[in-house]
Amino acid sequence: MTRTAETGLIIAAAILAAVGVGIVEFTKDNWLNAQVVVTFGVFVIAFGGIQIAVRRWASGASSLLLPTVAFLTAIGFIEIYRLDGHLAAIQRWSMLIAAAAGVGLLWLLRNTGVGVLRRYRYVLLAVGVLFLMLPLLPDGWPLHGAVVNGSRLWVRIDVPGLDRVLSFQPGEIGKVLVTIFLASYLAERSEAMATIDRKIGPFKLPEPRHLFPVLVAAGIAFVILIYQRDLGASLLLFGLFIGMLYIATGRSFYLVTGALAAVAGGAAAYSTFSHVQRRIDAWLDPFGHFSDAGYQSVQALFAMGSGSLTGSGIGLGRPDLIPAAETDFIFAAIAEEMGLAGSLAVIAAFALLVAAGFGIAIRSRDLFRKYLAGGLTIVLALQAIIILGGVLRVMPVTGITLPFMSYGGSSLLANTAIIALLLRISDEERA
Amino acid sequence: MNVSLRRAAYALLGAFLVLAVSVTYVQAINAPEYRDDPRNPRVVAWRTGRERGPIVTSDRVVVAESRPSPNDPTLFQRAYPFDGLYAHTVGYTSVLFGSRGLERTHASELTSNRDSTISGVLNGILGGDTRPRGLRLTIDHRLQQVATDALGQQRGAVIALDPKTGAVLALVSYPSFDPNSLIGLDAAQAGADLENDPDQPLRNRVSDETYAPGSVFKIVTTAAGLDTGLVSPSSEFPDPVELELPGSSSTIKNFDGEVCRAGTQVSLEYAFVHSCNTTFAQLGMKLGGEELARHANQFGFNKLVPFDLETLVSFFPDDGSLNDNLPATAQSAIGQLDVQTTPLLVALSGAAVANGGEMMVPYLVYDIFTSDGTVESSTVPMVWRRAMSPATASVLSGLMEQAVVSGTGKKAAVPGVRIAGKTGTAQVTGKAPHAWFVGFGPVEPEPDEQSIVVAVVVESGGDFGESATGGSVAAPIAQKVLATFFE
Repeated sequence: MTRTAETGLIIAAAILAAVGVGIVEFTKDNWLNAQVVVTFGVFVIAFGGIQIAVRRWASGASSLLLPTVAFLTAIGFIEIYRLDGHLAAIQRWSMLIAAAAGVGLLWLLRNTGVGVLRRYRYVLLAVGVLFLMLPLLPDGWPLHGAVVNGSRLWVRIDVPGLDRVLSFQPGEIGKVLVTIFLASYLAERSEAMATIDRKIGPFKLPEPRHLFPVLVAAGIAFVILIYQRDLGASLLLFGLFIGMLYIATGRSFYLVTGALAAVAGGAAAYSTFSHVQRRIDAWLDPFGHFSDAGYQSVQALFAMGSGSLTGSGIGLGRPDLIPAAETDFIFAAIAEEMGLAGSLAVIAAFALLVAAGFGIAIRSRDLFRKYLAGGLTIVLALQAIIILGGVLRVMPVTGITLPFMSYGGSSLLANTAIIALLLRISDEERA
Repeated sequence: MNVSLRRAAYALLGAFLVLAVSVTYVQAINAPEYRDDPRNPRVVAWRTGRERGPIVTSDRVVVAESRPSPNDPTLFQRAYPFDGLYAHTVGYTSVLFGSRGLERTHASELTSNRDSTISGVLNGILGGDTRPRGLRLTIDHRLQQVATDALGQQRGAVIALDPKTGAVLALVSYPSFDPNSLIGLDAAQAGADLENDPDQPLRNRVSDETYAPGSVFKIVTTAAGLDTGLVSPSSEFPDPVELELPGSSSTIKNFDGEVCRAGTQVSLEYAFVHSCNTTFAQLGMKLGGEELARHANQFGFNKLVPFDLETLVSFFPDDGSLNDNLPATAQSAIGQLDVQTTPLLVALSGAAVANGGEMMVPYLVYDIFTSDGTVESSTVPMVWRRAMSPATASVLSGLMEQAVVSGTGKKAAVPGVRIAGKTGTAQVTGKAPHAWFVGFGPVEPEPDEQSIVVAVVVESGGDFGESATGGSVAAPIAQKVLATFFE
């Protein structure tokens, strides 16, 4: 795909978002207003800005990523705007900030390439883990953790003299930093980890010390699960660790032990934590837990079922009845108002993004870039799968944002950074 | 390396395929189930938020109306000015609990035709009147109020209707509920409380509950005897203290355990007026189970009464189980054993006597009017079935008048009006008896004279408990309604 076609698709996404906003206004009996123009402008500036940066500093980059991301962002934005105009205004600022960060990242790496990140891997790991743990800071400190919807994954900064509280989810950035570290660590160790084998009967087993990374993965995931009560992030990190170990070593041993550890951990969590138990019970029988744990799931099913094939139409459904419709359950809101047609388009776009990401990884000649591209793609894919699977009852509901679509600045920033890194890596393969 | 990357890619893309399949399942295959789930607030929210037409009584007192919502000026909120007074007739529409009563059965007239369906849009374009219609009930506000006060805080039901047309004049079921409570902020709690209440306030005891009829069933037994020509009011029956039932050790006694009259012979007329069980048990056995069942079916037993509210079928064993079972036939003939009836059907049987044997279809909506008050359609009274011959109805009418003049129904008498009636005291195992009364007036009305039939049931004797009889508990309640009607 040429750059011109890419530009055309980005503008198409901007028009899509603007038309969506116009339709929402129209269903409220308002005629076209400034919101339509502002939305179009913000999309052009954000995605156009990243594309200009790509043309300047990464001209060989894949042209599949940006239009797909712009499409997903536009669909998500329309639904956020429809649910809450105030949140949508904040989301537009987040888009601009995230785009600026993406441009900044492309600029930073313009001469050195992503390879430079290897040098700082322990710093990145330290910062990444710190970010993941930040929400555990006690209340009362100027920078402190906060519990939202039962999960402690927020950090708030009380700025003296300012009424507003700045809050963000550091875990979103943390997971990107941890991915960079893992890619770098595995690029050095993978050969050793993949070749040394012991044989016990027909089974090939690696050195016991190679089990260590799996244990670390399980450990961190479990700490997050216990202290932050965040099933989604814990599952995502665990999946990422195991997925990257598998990619780097080609050993299904890691998948098997990983799956066993996940099942064991899940069973332990089920019997130990009441909130995990409630989630699982609500997953198995949401209608039986209609008035408590299953409520959100059932409301999502009602919404999606009511939307049926073509949807209620933007602004004409009742997605406001779904708890957390702007964030974790945005997909159910989209499915209600845009129907099966809209929800399949969203799933297809995510699949395209994931396929493009793996394509970049497969084409990479350098191990670090290969693992990094693979890892970042796994992060994107797992996030989408975990929350979509939860909304669609393929798996229990675990609170996690849908990349590019959910309301939330931290998530948008982190996922835009992932796209910027993927763009950069794809460029380096052409050069 | 690339092998494992490819495998990982296939696995994750496979997961997206699973998601695509499951979203198709949710939105295409299972969609109707989710969309129409009664707990899905969408349809009801849309319905309740729109303007609905008013519901007024026959004397034009507003009992349900849509007021602008205090939260959202573009939406409406339903209000029921008389709280529980019309709850079982009008029902409610609630976001959380769906709809009930006439709000449910007449939802299409009460809601606007202006919607996003193709016909709705076309209708709007073509300039049709799309505003919601209103309902005018047959219920009279004053009678409704009097009947409610007369029943007081006794579990039971009162229904009054016009025997000539079937128009319902009052419909009371106690305990009742306030439909406004299912709309407000605490609706969820209020609804749960109502559903869990052991006294079942949501249940309309007039048509959606059945009771053993006891002696009010003697109307049917007598009609069967007269219609078949087997007996006349002067037919004489043996008058034992205790009627031994053939082929069994059980017996039937009269209410007070005494003989009916003098202990030798008693006429059917005397037995009817004083409600002697022994006589009607004999009449029942004489008729036989099959004949009795045939007449019960003519009176609407084992048939669904066509009615705008939730209605249960009244039961009389017509499956042949009474054939060659004289004890059961005798018990059934006096409205005991397995016989079960709704107060509605008891009222209709009284109405049939008053109306020359013809049972009218009971109805609640007098007419439907448009937003500018023009009547769009009126209910045309219809005959439901013939319960007995005109001659039988005329004879029964006289017997029932005697019961009020000199028998068990004295407390239903209204000075200056010829009132006819029949009491019932239905024995219930383990509980106090249900007190019944069904009566009408005037007997032999002038062609243009208004008439009324009232049926009353008071569960488990009401305030009188074990000592309750139909004559002492139910008849005075009917009397108040009759007296108000003839004021």
